[in-house]
Amino acid sequence: MFAVNEALHGTGDAVGVVHAAPLIEYGEAMLGRDVARAALARDAVYRTLGPAALVDAAAIVASFNAVVKLADGSGIPLEELKAQATQDLRQQLALERLNHLDS
Amino acid sequence: MTSALFDPLQLPIRASLDRERERAWQRLAAAGTWWSGQQRLDIAAESRHASGCALCQRRKQALSPYTVAGQHDHLGLQSEPMVDIVHRLATDAGRLTKTWLSATLQAGVSEEQYVEAIGVVATITALDSFDHALGLPLRPLPPAQAGAPSRHRPAGAKRDLAWVATVAPQDLTSADPDPYTRHGNKNIHRALSLVPQEVINFFDLDVELYLKDHEIRDFDREYRALSHAQIELLAGRVSSLNGCYY
Repeated sequence: MFAVNEALHGTGDAVGVVHAAPLIEYGEAMLGRDVARAALARDAVYRTLGPAALVDAAAIVASFNAVVKLADGSGIPLEELKAQATQDLRQQLALERLNHLDS
Repeated sequence: MTSALFDPLQLPIRASLDRERERAWQRLAAAGTWWSGQQRLDIAAESRHASGCALCQRRKQALSPYTVAGQHDHLGLQSEPMVDIVHRLATDAGRLTKTWLSATLQAGVSEEQYVEAIGVVATITALDSFDHALGLPLRPLPPAQAGAPSRHRPAGAKRDLAWVATVAPQDLTSADPDPYTRHGNKNIHRALSLVPQEVINFFDLDVELYLKDHEIRDFDREYRALSHAQIELLAGRVSSLNGCYY
């Protein structure tokens, strides 16, 4: 298991996943509006992980940009077992405020 | 800005992913369950347009988007409530509330239409995000296909889990399209199940972008050019940036 805070908020250097840093930067750049940064991030993934990995990285960005609409738009809750199992982690990351238990 | 290292048009897109992308484009343009092909394309076009909406940008920067009034910059293709739905889904879905949805559903948009619109916005988001992430140009929307919406509401739909009615796997009937056998029955598969075909449409594409349900925790085998750890690392960062609790 990699360091969750580092994975979600750091540069990726300390998470213990191969080529984490270019992948993290790629995720950040694809969700931003800086065209030059996005181009550099694509090049970095292409250079370090290869063309097929760049395609798969793009696919992951696409999937997780989209699936959030289903969860947020419908107000579907996290499964109870999953919510219980990840309670401490979710509090640590302040994610619980985003779960659809109220409003 | 293009890359000096590679031509994005020559990247090795998996055949199964390429097939589902093409099918998703066609499904966007075909009649759905509650919207015609042209109406689905109008939703997709408005979703794209929302990123340049000044009101959406002001709301995004506000502590609460519900404190900022104004008019959306829109294409003039849809009713005011639908424009608001599509813009909020496209630009700030993480701050939608049940209260907002209840008010919106009293303003002339049906629950079924709303659920299908979520699927359309999610699909165009996935397709455009993929192209952007590879450095490909924005693809023009396809021409609308003829046909009428089927207007099929599952008899077993109940409002007992989410803000909108959903169909539990055990309440699905033979008259309903079955997304659960095909894609799994987690809550996320149930989210749009008031319009079961839209669940199928979205996850047919999504399992090729991400992984099939049974592949997600199959750590004995790698299914992509990225490892499970690399996939989850990137997915976690993107979800975090999107404020996704799920």
